Amino acid sequence: MSTDGDGRRPGANGPGGGERRTRRDDRAERLVVAAFTVSIVGALILAVVYIAGGQAQLEGVALALALGGIGLGIAVWARYFMAADEVVEERHALASTEEEVTAFTAAFEAGEQTLARRGLLAKLGLGALGALGLAALFPIRSLGPRPGQGLKNTAYGDGGRPLRLVDADGVPIRPADLSRSSLTTAWPEGHEHDADASTLLLQVDRERFRPLPGREDWVVGDIVAYSKLCTHTGCPVGLYQTELDLLLCPCHQSTFDVLNGAEPVFGPAARPLPQLPLDVDEEGFLVATGDFSAPVAGGFWDRGRT
Amino acid sequence: MGSRARHLRLVPVVAAASVALAALLGARAGAVEEEHDPLGYVVDRAALDDPATVAEGAELFRIGCVSCHGPGGVGSPRGPAITDAGAASAHFYLTSGRMPHAGAPDEQARRKPPAYTHEEIEDLVAYVASLGEGPEIPDVHLEEGDLQEGGDLFRGNCAACHSATGAGGALSYGQHAPSLDVATPVQIYEAMIIGPGQMPVFSPEAFSEEELNSIVRYVETLQGLGDPGGFSLGRIGPIPEGFVALVIGTGGMMLTVFLIGRRRHGEAEPPSEPVRPADASTGAGR
Amino acid sequence: MTAAGALTKATPLSRRTARWLDARLGAASFVRKALDKVFPDHWSFLLGELALWSFVILIATGVYLTFFFDASVEEIVYQGSYVPLQGVEMSRAYASALDLSFDVRAGLVMRQVHHWAANVYLATTVVHLMRIFFTGAFRRPRELNWLLGVGMLILSIVNGFVGYSLLDDQLSGTGLRIAYNIAISIPVGGTWLASLFFGGEFPGPDLIERLYVIHILLLPAVIIALLGAHLALVARQRHTQFSGPGRTERNVVGERVWPTFAAKGTAAFFLTAAMLCALGGLAQINPIWLYGPFRPAEVSAASQPDWYMGWLDGALRLWPSWEIRAFGFELPTPFYPSVLLPGVTFALLALWPFLEARITKDRREHHLLDRPRDRPLRTALGVATLAFYTVLFFGGASDVLAVTFQTSVNALFRAFRTALLVLPPVAGFVAYRLCRELARRDRPGATDEAPAVAPAAPEDGASHRRAIEPEDEPERDPASTAGVPRG
Repeated sequence: MSTDGDGRRPGANGPGGGERRTRRDDRAERLVVAAFTVSIVGALILAVVYIAGGQAQLEGVALALALGGIGLGIAVWARYFMAADEVVEERHALASTEEEVTAFTAAFEAGEQTLARRGLLAKLGLGALGALGLAALFPIRSLGPRPGQGLKNTAYGDGGRPLRLVDADGVPIRPADLSRSSLTTAWPEGHEHDADASTLLLQVDRERFRPLPGREDWVVGDIVAYSKLCTHTGCPVGLYQTELDLLLCPCHQSTFDVLNGAEPVFGPAARPLPQLPLDVDEEGFLVATGDFSAPVAGGFWDRGRT
Repeated sequence: MGSRARHLRLVPVVAAASVALAALLGARAGAVEEEHDPLGYVVDRAALDDPATVAEGAELFRIGCVSCHGPGGVGSPRGPAITDAGAASAHFYLTSGRMPHAGAPDEQARRKPPAYTHEEIEDLVAYVASLGEGPEIPDVHLEEGDLQEGGDLFRGNCAACHSATGAGGALSYGQHAPSLDVATPVQIYEAMIIGPGQMPVFSPEAFSEEELNSIVRYVETLQGLGDPGGFSLGRIGPIPEGFVALVIGTGGMMLTVFLIGRRRHGEAEPPSEPVRPADASTGAGR
Repeated sequence: MTAAGALTKATPLSRRTARWLDARLGAASFVRKALDKVFPDHWSFLLGELALWSFVILIATGVYLTFFFDASVEEIVYQGSYVPLQGVEMSRAYASALDLSFDVRAGLVMRQVHHWAANVYLATTVVHLMRIFFTGAFRRPRELNWLLGVGMLILSIVNGFVGYSLLDDQLSGTGLRIAYNIAISIPVGGTWLASLFFGGEFPGPDLIERLYVIHILLLPAVIIALLGAHLALVARQRHTQFSGPGRTERNVVGERVWPTFAAKGTAAFFLTAAMLCALGGLAQINPIWLYGPFRPAEVSAASQPDWYMGWLDGALRLWPSWEIRAFGFELPTPFYPSVLLPGVTFALLALWPFLEARITKDRREHHLLDRPRDRPLRTALGVATLAFYTVLFFGGASDVLAVTFQTSVNALFRAFRTALLVLPPVAGFVAYRLCRELARRDRPGATDEAPAVAPAAPEDGASHRRAIEPEDEPERDPASTAGVPRG
C-alpha cells in the first residue's frame, strides 16, 4: 500500500462523488485482484498439501496466504474504494434525565413497600437464600482431602523402620555404586513414584565436609543424602557443580552448599535442603533411618508445627 | 517422522513454495562428520602404546602444556594435575578444543576448533595416557544403545544442566553446561565417564556400558532430529518464543493496523453535516 | 410472510433474507442505525480489535484441539510415530498431545497456531491496555469497562497458564509444581486451597481433568461473558476520540461503521489470522516431544513460563530469601513475589480510574482522549511501572540471558535487583521531562482555545492529522486538559 494521496481528487469516493478512475485506482484494483487470487491459490495449496499427507510448514504458509490474501484485499479495497469522509455524530448524555430517574425510583420504591409490608417474610426469604448459599459451599469440600501431615512427612518416616534407598527401577543402592563427583537420585523402596521423596545421594570430600551438629552419624562413609526438592518452590535441584560442591535449582537459581548442610548460599531459597539420616543394613544396602530433617519442598504457614 | 517422507513426495506438486521450506526443514544441525570416522575418534587408538608416539607427545607437551599442568602433568597453581586423567580426558579436551585453555585458570574452558592436528592430538593423548592410570578412550557402540531408554536416562540425569533439548544451560558463578549440538558420540561418552569441569561423573559403577551407549545414541538422535514445527528458535524454551510473539507477532500486527487504520494524508473530507439526531439518540451501535 | 406480497422473483436474496428476519425480529431500524454509527478514526483504536481477533482464533483452533486431546493421567505406553518416545510410559494426556503433533494431519499446525495465538492475544491485550491507560480512556464514564478489561486480562493469564499445563510434559509439570508451592505459601488457607484444587498433594490424581474443564469451559465462558459486556459497553458509551478540529466532548467524528469501519475490522481479522498461521507453520513453539513426559524428580534447564507469566517468574527469582518465622509459624519466601505482588499489581490496576479521579478531583465525563504528554505525571507513573515489570520479565530470563551473553547468573541477579530499584524512577523521570518538553514546544503561539466546531475548510485534514498523530500540535482543546494540574 502506498502512502500518500497524490493524484487523488478529494471526495472521489465520497457518497455521491462521481467515479473518475485514476491510475492509482487502477493500481489499487489490480492489487485487490491479486490479493484475492493469492488467497484462492493459498486455499488450493492447503487442500493439495492436506491430501498429499500434510506438512506443517506448508500448511501454515498456505493458511497464511489464504487468510492474508483476503485481509490484504479487503484492506486495500477499504482504503481506496470506500468512503473516507468524516462524519460527525452527536453524542448524547449517558445519564438519564432527572424525571426518568425520579420515575424509576418511585416505581422501585413502590414495589419495595409492597415487600416491606411483609417484613418478616422478606427477611426470612433472604435468610433462606443465604443458608442455601452456605449449603452450596459444602460440596466444594469434596474436591480434596484435608491437608494433614502429608506435607510434613515423606514415605521415609512412614513405617518407623529403616527403609532402603532404591533407584528409579527399584534396585537397592550400595555405597559402592556411588563414586566421587557422581550424582544419584534415589527413592524410598516401594515409593519410586512419590513426588515428595526423591533424594540426592552425593559422595563428598570428607576432609572438607562439615556435618551439622547432631548429624555426624547421618552419613555413610562420605555419602550424604539430601532432599532433591528446592525449599523455595519445590523444583528438583538437579544441577550438581562438582568442583564447587554446589547444588543449583534451574527454576529460580537457588544455590546450596553441599559441604555445609546444603545451606542456601545464593538465590531466593531461605532454608537448607532437608537432610536424610543414612545407614547401611546387614546386606550392605543404603537405608534411611528416619524421615528428612525437615518437611521437604516449599514452605507453608504451619510447617514448623507438629 | 513420517511427515518428512510425505513431504518429499509433495515437492513436485508445489515446487516453488516448498523449495525454500524444504531447505529450512531439512537443515540438520552439525553432522559434518567424515565418512570413515562418524563417532569422532580422530586418533588411531592402536598407536597410543607406541613409544615413538608417546615421545612425540612428550615434546608437544613440553612446549604447549607444561606451563599450566607442570612437568610430567603434576599440576601447578595455574592448572590441575593430570597424571591420572587418562586417554579419555586428554582426547575429550583436545578434540573439543577446550585445551589448550585460552582464558584465566578459573574460567570455564569453552569448545572451539582443535588447536592441534589429528596426529598431534594422537601424540599428546598417548603421552598423557602414559603418565598414570586413567580411563581409556571408550568403545562407543551406538547400535547397542536403546534409544528410548537413552531418552529416559538423559531426561533423568542430563537434562537438568544440558536442558531436555540438549541446548545447554546456565550454572552458577559464571559456569554453564554447554550445548550438545556438535558433541561427537565419543566426546559425549568420555564426558560421562570423566566428568569434565563442573560435570558429575556418570560412572561405570552406576551406569552400565549399555546405558551409556543409550544416552549417547539419544543425544545423537536429538542432534539430527530436525524441527517439525519450523524454525527451532534455539530450542531453549519459552523465552525466545515470547520474544517472537512480542516482536514479530504483536509488533507485526501493530504495524498492520497502523497501515490499515492510518488516515490517507491530505485527502480527508471536511466533516459532513451531522446525522439526524433520531439516529444518534438510541446509543446502540458504536 | 407478511411482506411476501412485496417480493418478486427479481428481489435479491439478501433483501429477501432481510425481510424474512425482520418479520421475526423487527430489527431493521435498529440494525440500520447501527450500520450508520460513527466510529472515531485512529489506528490505535484497532489494537483492542487485534486482541479480539486473536481470541477468536484461539477459540477456533482450541475447539479443533479438543477433538483430539485426551485429558487423562492414566499411564499408557506410547506407540505413536515419534520414534524416540516409542515404548515410554506416559499419561494419556501427553500421548494424545504427541499424537496431535505427529499423527493428526494438520494437528501440529493447529496446536502451534493455538499457542502462538495465546501469546499474541495476551500481548495485544496488554498493548491495548497501555493505549487506554496513557490516553486516559478509563476515566468517567468508562471505569466499568476498565474493570471488565482488567478482569479479562487476569483470567486470560490464568487460562494461558492452565492451557500449557495441560499437556503433562516435563515443562508443564514443573510449572504446576511451582504453582502448587505458591498456593501452599499463602498463610492459613493456602494448604487447604492447594489440597482442594489439586485434589490432594502434588501432583494430585485428577489434576489434568480439572485443568481441562477450567481451560476449555469455565474460564472461556467467563471471558466470553466479560468480552460481550466489554463490547456492549463500548457500543453504549461510544468510542472515545482524540481532540482535534471539530471534535468535542459532545460529538463523535469518524467514519461510518458500514462499510468502511467494518471492512477495516474484517481486514484486521484476516490479517491477524494470517500472521498467527504463518507463525504456527514456520516457528516451532513448545516442542513437547523434546521435553518428555512429566516425572516429579526430573527437571530441565531453562524451565520458564510463557512470556505473560515471565514477570512472576522473575519476581520469584529476584525477591530476596526473606522468610518470617515465629512460634512455629512462617510466611514463606514465595508468598511475597508470587501472591502479594500480583495481588497488589492487579488491585492497583483495577482501582486506578478511581484513584486518579480522587487524586485529580476530576470526576467529569471525558470522551476526548489525553495525549500522553498532556498528563506528564500519569505518563511518568505508567512508564515507571512498565519499567519495573520489564525488569522482572528479563529477570525471569536470567539463566537464558547468562548463557546467551556468556555472563554469570549471579552477576545478572545483582544487576537486575539493582535495576529493579533504579530503573523505574529513572524511566519515570525521563518520561516526565520528555512530556514537559513536548508540551512546552506545543505551547508557543498556541491559541489556547480551539473553536467548538471547526470550520469546514479544505486544510482540515492536515491540521486534523496533527491532532491524532501529535508532533507539533499548536491547538489544544481546553476541555481535555482541564482538571489535572500540569506537573
